[in-house]
Amino acid sequence: MRDRLARSTRLNRVAVGALLLVMLLSVAAPAIAMTTSRLTIDQKIGGARTRFTYQATADEDAGVGRIDFLFPEGFDTDDVYIELTLLDGLRRIKADYEFEVLETGAVSITFDPIVPAKSNLFIEVYDVFTPMAGGTYEIPIEYEAVLPGGSTETRQDEGLTVKYDTPPREEALARWLDNQGWVEAWTSVKFFDIFFKPQHFVVAVPLLFKGWLKSLSLVALAFPISIVGGLLIAFMKMAKVPPVRWIASIYINVVRGTPLFLQIFVVFIGFRTVGLRIPDFPSAVAVLAFNSSAYLAEIFRAGIQSISRGQFEAASSLGMNYWQAMQYVIIPQTVKRVLPTMTSEFILLFKDTALLAAVGIFELMMYSQNYVARNANLTAFMVAAGYYLIVTIPLINLVGKLETKLAQSEHGAASPPKGRAKRGVLLGVGAPAPADSVAPGLGSAAGDPQQKLFEHSAAKHESR
Amino acid sequence: MADAILRIKNLQKSFGALEVLKGVDMDVQKGEVVVILGPSGSGKSTLLRCVNRLEEPTGGEIWFEDRQVNHPKTDINEVREKIGMVFQSFNLFPHLTAKGNVMLAQRKVLKRDKAEAERIAIEKLTRVGLADRVDYFPSQLSGGQQQRVAIARALAMDPHVMLFDEVTSALDPELVRGVLDVMKELALAGMTMLVVTHEMGFARDVATRAVFMDGGVIVEEGTPSEVFDNPQNERTQDFLGHIS
Repeated sequence: MRDRLARSTRLNRVAVGALLLVMLLSVAAPAIAMTTSRLTIDQKIGGARTRFTYQATADEDAGVGRIDFLFPEGFDTDDVYIELTLLDGLRRIKADYEFEVLETGAVSITFDPIVPAKSNLFIEVYDVFTPMAGGTYEIPIEYEAVLPGGSTETRQDEGLTVKYDTPPREEALARWLDNQGWVEAWTSVKFFDIFFKPQHFVVAVPLLFKGWLKSLSLVALAFPISIVGGLLIAFMKMAKVPPVRWIASIYINVVRGTPLFLQIFVVFIGFRTVGLRIPDFPSAVAVLAFNSSAYLAEIFRAGIQSISRGQFEAASSLGMNYWQAMQYVIIPQTVKRVLPTMTSEFILLFKDTALLAAVGIFELMMYSQNYVARNANLTAFMVAAGYYLIVTIPLINLVGKLETKLAQSEHGAASPPKGRAKRGVLLGVGAPAPADSVAPGLGSAAGDPQQKLFEHSAAKHESR
Repeated sequence: MADAILRIKNLQKSFGALEVLKGVDMDVQKGEVVVILGPSGSGKSTLLRCVNRLEEPTGGEIWFEDRQVNHPKTDINEVREKIGMVFQSFNLFPHLTAKGNVMLAQRKVLKRDKAEAERIAIEKLTRVGLADRVDYFPSQLSGGQQQRVAIARALAMDPHVMLFDEVTSALDPELVRGVLDVMKELALAGMTMLVVTHEMGFARDVATRAVFMDGGVIVEEGTPSEVFDNPQNERTQDFLGHIS
């Protein structure tokens, strides 16, 4: 027995050969197997670092001198390590053992002194790399039974099988990356390992894509609804009938004056408590639209009111009614003015979909959060950031371009004439009545309407 | 009196505590060109804006043809179709071309079909000397040209009365002529016109009647030569003394 503690490879071969021989014999004459043995794995997907847990009770008639886990071909056991517990009844007994990995990949654990008969064994084999190809694998377990007289015989435990699935392509890619030198070099920098680990990157990108689509579809549905809602509220806020105005004001102030986070909780938890059961996705769309409508209403109202009153008067003087003037004169001009602010609102709303993670909507943030929690690595957050930026960066650029274009068309590429400007109002080429100058009785010094819009959007950024 | 197209009776208008019009009476006969003069704040623009109810009168009556303009049951939009107005600040629709500006209300208010509205638009724009500018946007036109588009836009509605509210005040001096020429041509063609202006030359040449307002009331009225050459009221004399 002792010589086994310092075995050479040559001896291993001999040992395995002997084992195989005994295996054949044991088929002919069934040996007494260790009782209530159990083998479990902690990964359901192949191609992963896996822990094997083995539990058994030693035979009644013999101690155990050695246990071999005969991992079949495809299992990588080069880096394994063992944790082992021996129990005599409930009493923990000292275990002296050594283990080694044979050339065949088998993991052999030798005990000295031997494990007494009837003891309980609890063995964990860490860091076994399972094969990529999923399926059912037989892992034979053999052990050297040491009889009371000192003679030994090789016995075989029950045939144990493990089962797992083939990993998806990205998982396989991640496992491949595990073994690349440059990946190892990269991840040896702790920062990169935590935030930009290639193995997690390749898995998180396809996984988070689903969340990205969900976030996009949430905002793609909610935003058009809030445009309609926003217009409605904006007109209500400008209505002649005071109660209608009050309703719009209350709505706008309450929605803008409370966090979206709270509104989400009210809808998802509050409504549910009351017994209103609306499916998650429609609820999420509704709460986003509900919130965004208030902001858009203010954007639209500011936009409409930034159009010179003269435009409305000109339309009225031609016999157009309120809605005709709105539809054909005011709104077309408003659209151009509010487009930058509207786009900003879209960006905000898209980012705000992340808050829905708090109530379990599986959108981009939720996917990344889940991944991070499962893998204890922040790479998924970086991937999520990338997905958000893919949408927001082009839109941010668009806002900039729209603002520049608008500024040019409002203040005129051609300079206004320097001629006499009565009542201090500049009117002329390229400047379609920039300020309200028509009504001497009204005398409203509107200032720069565009500036107002910008201030409005700036205020919003602070408010969230 | 019978064929007065516009009758204004004891018209009053206040903006809060500020009384701008303190009882104005005025009849305008068909074909008349009435020039309204007066210092700033005398209420002349407000008077004009009350005629098509851009300002809601606070007292008195305004009759246009056989309708009371400031009666609650009057459909003001129907009245406004017949009363053209041109503003100091043009108020062209910047998102539409000159032609589009002239066509819009024809299409939406008068329900003319596109071809007819376009034909009339080109006809009116030609009349104001802008045949070659029909497809220009307001921002591509000079102030004078914009103002003439505004006149064409009002004319396209076939108005019975035209209101001109200091239409040349915002223009460079060299651009004023073209606009005044168009107005003069209109007057000669028999259009009934109410003109608030500081252009004394125009008033003298074209107006059939001059009205001088101050402090929210009509101080003096008569033929242009009566008012200009022989003003009776002290305030008229003072005002004309400053102007000329």
